[in-house]
Amino acid sequence: MDFTLDEASTKLQAEISAFAKKEMPKAERELYLMIDQECPDFEFEMSMSKKLAQRGWLTMSWPKEYGGGGASYFEQTAYEMEIAYQSIPGAWMGISGIQWVGPVIMALGTQEQKKKYLPLIAAGEKDGVWCTGYSEPNAGSDLANLQTRAVKTGDKYIINGQKVWTSQAHHARWCWCLVRTTPMTEKKHHGLSLIIVDMKSPGVTVRPLLNFYGRHHFNEVFFENVEVPAANLVGMENKGWYHLMQALVHERRSFAPSMYGVCKKAVETLVEYAKNAKHEGEPLSQCVGVRNQLASIAVDLEALRLFAFQITWLVSQGGMPIYEASRNKLMADMLTRRIGLAGAEILGAYSQVDPYASSLARLNGKIQGWYLGFPGNHIAAGTSEVEKSVIAQFKLGLPKSY
Amino acid sequence: MDFGFSEQQVMLRTTARGFLTREYPKARIRAVFREEKGYDPKVWHDMAELGWQGLVLPAEYEGTEAGFLDLVILFEEMGRNIVPGPFFSTVAHCSLALLEFGTKEQKSRFLPPVARGEEIWTLALIEESASYSPSEINMPAVAKGDGYVLSGSKVFVADAHVANYMLVVARTGESSGAGGITVFVVETKEPGISIEWMPTMAGDRQFRVTFDKVRVPKSSVLGSTGGGWGIVEFILQRAAVLKCAEMSGACQAVLDMTSAYAKDRVQFDRPIGSFQGVQMKLADMVIDIDAIQYLLYQAAWEISIGKASQSHISAAKAKAAEAFQTICIEGMTAHGAIGFTEDCDLGFYYRRVREAEFTGGNTGLHLEKIAAGLDL
Repeated sequence: MDFTLDEASTKLQAEISAFAKKEMPKAERELYLMIDQECPDFEFEMSMSKKLAQRGWLTMSWPKEYGGGGASYFEQTAYEMEIAYQSIPGAWMGISGIQWVGPVIMALGTQEQKKKYLPLIAAGEKDGVWCTGYSEPNAGSDLANLQTRAVKTGDKYIINGQKVWTSQAHHARWCWCLVRTTPMTEKKHHGLSLIIVDMKSPGVTVRPLLNFYGRHHFNEVFFENVEVPAANLVGMENKGWYHLMQALVHERRSFAPSMYGVCKKAVETLVEYAKNAKHEGEPLSQCVGVRNQLASIAVDLEALRLFAFQITWLVSQGGMPIYEASRNKLMADMLTRRIGLAGAEILGAYSQVDPYASSLARLNGKIQGWYLGFPGNHIAAGTSEVEKSVIAQFKLGLPKSY
Repeated sequence: MDFGFSEQQVMLRTTARGFLTREYPKARIRAVFREEKGYDPKVWHDMAELGWQGLVLPAEYEGTEAGFLDLVILFEEMGRNIVPGPFFSTVAHCSLALLEFGTKEQKSRFLPPVARGEEIWTLALIEESASYSPSEINMPAVAKGDGYVLSGSKVFVADAHVANYMLVVARTGESSGAGGITVFVVETKEPGISIEWMPTMAGDRQFRVTFDKVRVPKSSVLGSTGGGWGIVEFILQRAAVLKCAEMSGACQAVLDMTSAYAKDRVQFDRPIGSFQGVQMKLADMVIDIDAIQYLLYQAAWEISIGKASQSHISAAKAKAAEAFQTICIEGMTAHGAIGFTEDCDLGFYYRRVREAEFTGGNTGLHLEKIAAGLDL
């Protein structure tokens, strides 16, 4: 065993920290610490994507031939931790050009697809921003139940149907879309295909779906007789489910590092706040309850850091993380919840102030925003219940529960 | 970074698990707990044959020269199987400190018999208030002639009934804090020492040890006079990690037991492990155990390369103590009524939770150390 992070990764983190100080004035960094890691200013976000691309960081994980930096898995993890910790927006090219669209196109795409899409992502262009069309009204946890239909006619697919909870669809140029190409199959996850849809195509309608505190993050996306060139099929027809599973290995490694980064920043923010706020004339940080709570959160934070690197190590050894990915997500989700609740307690009465509408919001509303946002983490990209079922089934070998 | 064990480490674990399950099946452990000594001296000597008591000691003291991480693996296996006996008190609480702080003479005299399994040691630290704070260590050691006179009493002293020697922590100076504390090597058969059994729910052997004007020579001081608290902190760091290792193994045992039971036990015509309510408990255990393990291995690895981190040690111990308790409770309730019976091994583990939480520093102490590390 060896728990030292390699020199290249450590150096990289220092460089990113310096980059953040230079490119993001403190006021802006303050503003962008958000649990959903979404920057409210898309133009600023894209300007940061460009700068990350210029530094060679945006697609550092990709092989050199596709405009990448050929970085090690450990460097990628270190980079993602630091980017999130420094609250630098624009690192993912929507949801998510960097994390799965690019890697899957590299693995399965045609030469034309590689030439067309990868440079746009690698350069941090607006036309390299993606959204991912998986969930539908009747296909949430039971994703294979999706009904959006793609019918092949000559050299085109005609797509009809609806996607929902589609994050960033209002900014995306492309949709990484899972659709049904064969309607009647013995198993529901057969007959699905991955198709790239140009969001500018006639027949695509994006409708904002505001979350419960009025923020526009996700959308409904409607497809009405949308014509897509057959060349936009990724991999093989009817093998979309298996391609998606392959895509997950990339997503799975990169989930915990960024969550670790934002959580670490949030804990440090609360520590600073507690040291400066007063309770009965004493610093709030002297209350045993506050100290114990933050210390206990720091324990899980350190565990999440180790989980992130353990999965990185596993992937670097050629392994395929299965239950580990669910474990990491559950740990991260639990941590966001603990931070949100502890943060609200530490802010006391000020925790009720509207973070987006009041200049009286403490810490620029970061903690209140976090408090409002964390339940979404328990739902997005696999609910806690589903993730726990995965652990029970694949780590412990218990019978399927659903 | 490397999250894998070496081949030798995997082998050590396999050997340990095989030996311990063979020599100490649960029925044997139950019987041994009812005997006066509370452990099987023959197994103790067999362990020494395997090189366990001297696992991390240098060859010149008849040790096996393995690393601290190897010791962690051994303690995980001991915790997994609930091994009775004075292994923790001898190895975790005393031998490491003797090696680190002992004079050449002390090491040559005391370490080889430990490695051979011939002499047993224990730590006499805690006093009536049951606190690890240095201000709560007040038993006086008064300088007299060529030595000191110890008077007072210590509680929660493990295995004092079979120990040949004790590390006794006493106050030689005037100050009330960490200064003025000295560690003494004391032979348990010295006149004036008496012991009183403090029966515990775990069934391990703990005692109140009373010192009635016990005279010890100057040469019995370990390290420097007045510099004893540094030794105590050294001991507590290692004891915290090794107790965490025991809990890590114990948690894994409870998970394995509960998972097997959930597959086996049928209600409503299907295994209870197919119910999501049961699966949630078990999945939570998996996450906790992975967290304990990596926190533990990191803390141990840092000790092994001479870069101990108090925050990492405390994180491992605090996490393990909290999770061990939860895992035992959830494991027991997942078993249903059978989990509540004497025949089920689950209660056996649950009964050890409080001892494990206290030994090596209680959770409150470790959370405070983490808070200090956060600059709070």
